[in-house]
Amino acid sequence: MDLRLTDEQEMLLKASTEFLAARYPRSRVRDPQARPDADYRRQAAELGWYGLLVGEDLGGGSLSGEPVVDCALLARALGAQLQPGPFLGTALAALALAADGSPEQHRGVLADLLAGRSAAAWAVVDAGGDPAPTAGVSARRAGEGGYTLHGAKTAVEGAGDSDLLLVTGTSEAGPTQFLVPRDAPGVSVQELEGLDITRRFAEVTFADVAVGPEALVGAAGGAGGLVDRMWDIACVLTVADMVGAMERDFAAALEYSGQRIAFGRPIGSFQAVKHLLADTSLLLEMSNALLFAAARAVGSGASDGARLTSMAKSFVSDSGVDLVHNCFQVFGGIGFTWEHDQHLYLRRVTTDAALFGDAVSHRERICVLAGL
Amino acid sequence: MSSDPTGSTPSSEPAVSVQEFRTALRRWLQDTLEPDDPVARGVRRFRALTPADLTAERGLQARLHAAGYAGLTVPTEYGGRGLTAAHQRVFDEETSSYRLPDFGVASMTTALCLRTMLAHSAPDMLRRHVPRILRGEELWAQFFSETEAGSDLAGVRTRATRRDDGWVLDGGKVWSSGAQYCDFGMCLTRTNWKVAKHRGLTWFAVPLDAPGVRIEPIHQIGGEAEFCQEFFDGVVIDDGERIGEVDDGWTVARTVLVLERGFAEEGATVPSLAGEHTDLVALVRASGRAQDPVVRQELATVLTHDYAVAHLEQWIAEYMAGSGGLDAGVAAYAALAAGTFTPERAKAVMRIVGRDAVLWPAGDTERGAPALEYLNSRRKAIAGGTNEVQRNGIGEQVLGLPREPSFDSRMPFDEVLRAARNWSGRVG
Repeated sequence: MDLRLTDEQEMLLKASTEFLAARYPRSRVRDPQARPDADYRRQAAELGWYGLLVGEDLGGGSLSGEPVVDCALLARALGAQLQPGPFLGTALAALALAADGSPEQHRGVLADLLAGRSAAAWAVVDAGGDPAPTAGVSARRAGEGGYTLHGAKTAVEGAGDSDLLLVTGTSEAGPTQFLVPRDAPGVSVQELEGLDITRRFAEVTFADVAVGPEALVGAAGGAGGLVDRMWDIACVLTVADMVGAMERDFAAALEYSGQRIAFGRPIGSFQAVKHLLADTSLLLEMSNALLFAAARAVGSGASDGARLTSMAKSFVSDSGVDLVHNCFQVFGGIGFTWEHDQHLYLRRVTTDAALFGDAVSHRERICVLAGL
Repeated sequence: MSSDPTGSTPSSEPAVSVQEFRTALRRWLQDTLEPDDPVARGVRRFRALTPADLTAERGLQARLHAAGYAGLTVPTEYGGRGLTAAHQRVFDEETSSYRLPDFGVASMTTALCLRTMLAHSAPDMLRRHVPRILRGEELWAQFFSETEAGSDLAGVRTRATRRDDGWVLDGGKVWSSGAQYCDFGMCLTRTNWKVAKHRGLTWFAVPLDAPGVRIEPIHQIGGEAEFCQEFFDGVVIDDGERIGEVDDGWTVARTVLVLERGFAEEGATVPSLAGEHTDLVALVRASGRAQDPVVRQELATVLTHDYAVAHLEQWIAEYMAGSGGLDAGVAAYAALAAGTFTPERAKAVMRIVGRDAVLWPAGDTERGAPALEYLNSRRKAIAGGTNEVQRNGIGEQVLGLPREPSFDSRMPFDEVLRAARNWSGRVG
C-alpha cells in the first residue's frame, strides 16, 4: 500500500532514484572515503530537493501543495538508498531563511542553497544533553549588530560536508538562529564515530565565534516558533528516513524468505516465519500511515501536528528497531556478514531512532500535550 | 453520444447535484431528526433492544426512507435512490451529529447482508427484500460461524439438501450478532459433500420465523448476551431465496469477508476514537499516578497505538479507494492491528489503574468499565478470523509467501473429515 502520488511527486522520486543509482550507489555508501561532493549537491539541487519547503517566489517550490509530504516522500527515498546528507540540514536551513531571513539573505545565501552552491548542516542538539533545541550555544551582543557565539552542539549531520552551519542558540533576547560559515575562526568540527556508517555526524564547538549582523536569521529572540516547527519537520523527515530504510530491509528479508530452503520448503512457507513477516509488515504499514498523518498535520499547521509528530517518532523508532531485528532473524547467519546490507539498515534505523528525540522523550511529550 | 435519429431525448430524471442534495438534506435533518453524539452512539452499539425500541427504530427508518434518504447508492428499481458514492459521503458527513435509526449491531449486519445481496442475488429476490430492508421492515443477521467452523469458514457443516424446487436445512450457526432482533439470516451452508470444501457451499436467506428454526442467546464472559446460537431442524427454503449460484458460495463469501472487515464504504473510514475506548487520560488523572514516569510512558504508548490503528484504517481506506477494489488481504491488516493492539491496550489499562480496576463499589458501572473492556479485549483477536488467520492472509495474499501445505483443499469434504480424525502429520 502507498499514497496515491501526483505526477510531479512520481517524477521527482523517479529522477532522484535514477540520480542516486548513478551518482551514489551502494558501493559509494559503503566506501568510508566517499563523500557527497559539490557535484552531487548541484545535481540534487537541479532536481529541486532543497527548495521543497520554500515558496516559489523565493526560488523554491513544492510539488503538491503539501510541502512537508513532498519532503517526507523524498526523505523516505533517501533513507531507502541509505544516502548521506546534506538534504535535511539544507532543506531546513532554506526553510528558516525563507521564513525569517532578510531580502539580502533571500537573494544571496538562500539562492546558493537552492542551487546547490552551498550546503548547510543544522547545529541544534546541545552537546551538554539539554533537550531544548536552543540550548548549548549562547550568543552575546558584540560590536555593530554582531554577536559572539559560545558553546557546543552535537549530532550535527553532515557538518563536515557543509560550508554553512545553521546554529540554533539563545541570545539575551531569547531563541535566536545564526547562519555561520563552517570555516569561521573559532568553529571546530570534530567528526564522531558512530553506529551508522552511512552518514557522518559531528560535534561542533563555538569558541567565541564572532559573527556580523548578516549571520542573524530573523530577529534576535524571535526564533522560538520557527525552531519548534523546524524540529517537528526534522522529526517527520527522520521518521521518513527510517520508513524508507525499513521498506528496503523488509523487502530484502521477504524475498530471502521465499528463496532460502530449509526442511524441504522455502522458509517463508513456515507459519513461524510467515507470521513474523506478517506482524513486521503490519508495523511497516502503520509506520507509513503515521508518517504521512504527521506530515500532513505538520504541513498544514493543524492543531494536532505536534502530538502526531511525537506519536510517529515514538512509534516508528520502536517499530523500526523491531523491524530490522525481525529481518535479521529471517536472514539468519548471512545477516552477520559485512558484505550483506542487513547491518547497514540496522545501523541506520537504530541511529534515527535516537535522533531528534528518542521514543521515550516523545512519549513524555505526548503526556505533556495531553495536559498531564 | 450522437442524438437519437427520431429526435427524442432520453427522459431520465436529472441527477441531483451533490450540492443540491446537501442543502436539502441539511434542511430536512434540522427539521426532522434529533441531535446525537459519538459517545451515545458507542453506548447504543451493543445495547439490548426492547420491543418498544425496535418499533421506534423501525419507524425512524421508515421516515428516512419516505424522505428519500435510505439506500442512497441502491438502484432505484430496488427502492433506493441510485445516487453516487459522493452523495453517500455527503450524507455521512451531514448526519454525523444526528440521531439516525440505530438497531445496534443489527444495523451493521443488515447493511452487510444488503451489500452482499446486491452483489450476488437475482433481481427477483432483490425486489422482494431490498425495499423492505430500506423501509426498516426487515433486519438481517449473519449466519456464518458454526461451533465446528470459525476461522476456517469454508469448513461449515450446516447441510442444505435439495427437495422438489427448494431446499431443507439441518445444522446450526453460532456467534450471530443481534439475531434475536432480526427477521432473516444470511446463511452459509454445504450443498455438496463430494467435492473439495470451497466448491460445495451455497448461501440462503433463512426466515427466522420458519418452522424448525430455534434461536438461543449466548451468555458472554462479561454478562452480555449480544450473540445468538441457532438450530435448524428440517427448515424448508424456497430456491428463490438463494444468494449466488449453487455450490459457488465461496465467491459470495469472499465479498462478505472483505465487507465484514469494514472497508465496504468508499471513504467511509475516518479515524474517530471518541466512544470507542475508556478515556485513559482521565483514568490516569483519577489514579493519582499522573506523575509516575512509568505510567506516563505506558499511557503515551496506548494513546499512540490508538492513533496508529486509526490512521492505519484511513491508510487502507485511501488505498482501496484509489485502487478501486476490495482486497481481503489488505483488509486483514486492519483486523490484525485491532486484534493485536486491543488486548495490549486493555492490559495496559489494568496495569495503570491497578487495584481499582479489579475491585469497585457495587453498581458503579463507570469504575467497572476497564474490567469489562479487559474481559472483551481478546474479541478482536478472535472474531472474524483469529490473528493467526489474518497473518496467513497477509503473508500469502499480500506478501506473496508460499502457502501452507494444504490437506483439505482438493479432497472431497466428507473424506477430509474422516482423514482428519486419523491425523499423523505424514504427507504421502
